[in-house]
Amino acid sequence: MATQTQTATAPKSELTATEKVQRLRELFSDAPEIGRTAVENVLHELKSQVSVAPAFRMESAGRAGSRQGKVSELTFIVPLAPGGAQRLRGFLELLDGDFNKADLVGTVHDMRFVFLENDTKLLFATAYDGDWDAYIDDFASKIPDYLDIISSAFEGWPGIRSPQVKDYFAKYQITAAGWYVANPDLTVVETRRLKRIGKAVDRFLDQISE
Amino acid sequence: MANQTQTATAPQSDAGAQKIQQLRELFADASDVGKRALENVIKELSSQVSEPPPPIESAGRVGARLGKRSELTMIVPLVPGGAKRLRTFLQLLGGNLSPGATKVGTLHDMRFVFIDNDTRLLFATSFDGDWDTYIDDFIALIPDYLDLMDSAWEGWPGIRDPGAKDYLVKHQITAEGWFVANPELTLAEIQRQNRVSKAVDELLDKIQ
Repeated sequence: MATQTQTATAPKSELTATEKVQRLRELFSDAPEIGRTAVENVLHELKSQVSVAPAFRMESAGRAGSRQGKVSELTFIVPLAPGGAQRLRGFLELLDGDFNKADLVGTVHDMRFVFLENDTKLLFATAYDGDWDAYIDDFASKIPDYLDIISSAFEGWPGIRSPQVKDYFAKYQITAAGWYVANPDLTVVETRRLKRIGKAVDRFLDQISE
Repeated sequence: MANQTQTATAPQSDAGAQKIQQLRELFADASDVGKRALENVIKELSSQVSEPPPPIESAGRVGARLGKRSELTMIVPLVPGGAKRLRTFLQLLGGNLSPGATKVGTLHDMRFVFIDNDTRLLFATSFDGDWDTYIDDFIALIPDYLDLMDSAWEGWPGIRDPGAKDYLVKHQITAEGWFVANPELTLAEIQRQNRVSKAVDELLDKIQ
């Protein structure tokens, strides 16, 4: 997968920054005026940005999805079974909308459930650490029943214990074309560790100032 | 605080049992997979419902918030040629929007997903605090990057237009489920703790 991305990127990176930005400018020649003006306003900044390699490039998260540093995105839109929206909503309401069982997975940064098109579809979007396969495996091994409660609202859901479950996810997942993460080098676990250190340092400083 | 929770728990456990019962009834016509899954966790669920976590609140005009963290999810129709322009812009940056995005100090993550054969765009982000402040930050800090991308959207009035916020509200859909691993940490706090942690490492190295 990494090799594929590399090969795909190589010819493009041979274009100079000026050429790349020029290409964008041409493409925007038929954009609405707001867009054309905006391109002109950031042209200089963009050129310098493009000429230096970013610290993190967007990569593949594995079978589907994008990854920035250590943090990946999973976005999917699934059709709902009849009554599915009502059941899923009932479940989410029971938890006051906070599906905190996701904490048990240990690699989930955030996760949202959004009902679309008069409750006929669900958008599920999450940010998580690492690779796609490991993430799905973690759900299957740590919170299989919660996943089945939620996903039994999806049309054709085979069950988390089914060998087809990964194909099901891959079928409805749509890889993000742009993915930004403020702290791409911090996993959920590392963020928690930082929090503990921060608290310990605060206590330490309190004590020595007494 | 402890007192408050205690008082709140007593009447809630009855209501909790009732809620669980409702959920069970709702799942009576679910698939076997769904029914079985619910039975497997019903006990655990009952105890969670009687001691509920902090609930989801509104992020302001639209969107959900948990603790300090909010979500914004939008689906917008694209103008002809819009997907191509936006895609090229994203490719130019290698999909990494950090030149503009890092300037907005409350922005945790953000994704752009083309759907329905490039006729619509899904934009989803996770940020600190209130909706209005977040949009104001974009307007103040990166108006041109925003216009550059949003000029792909059908009917986008321009970020400096007084109708810009109404446009965003019109296309935003509030999440009904929202989970955040560290809801009490803002981006600024995470970054501060990252610096503190590095300083502690250096300190420990020196005194060893």
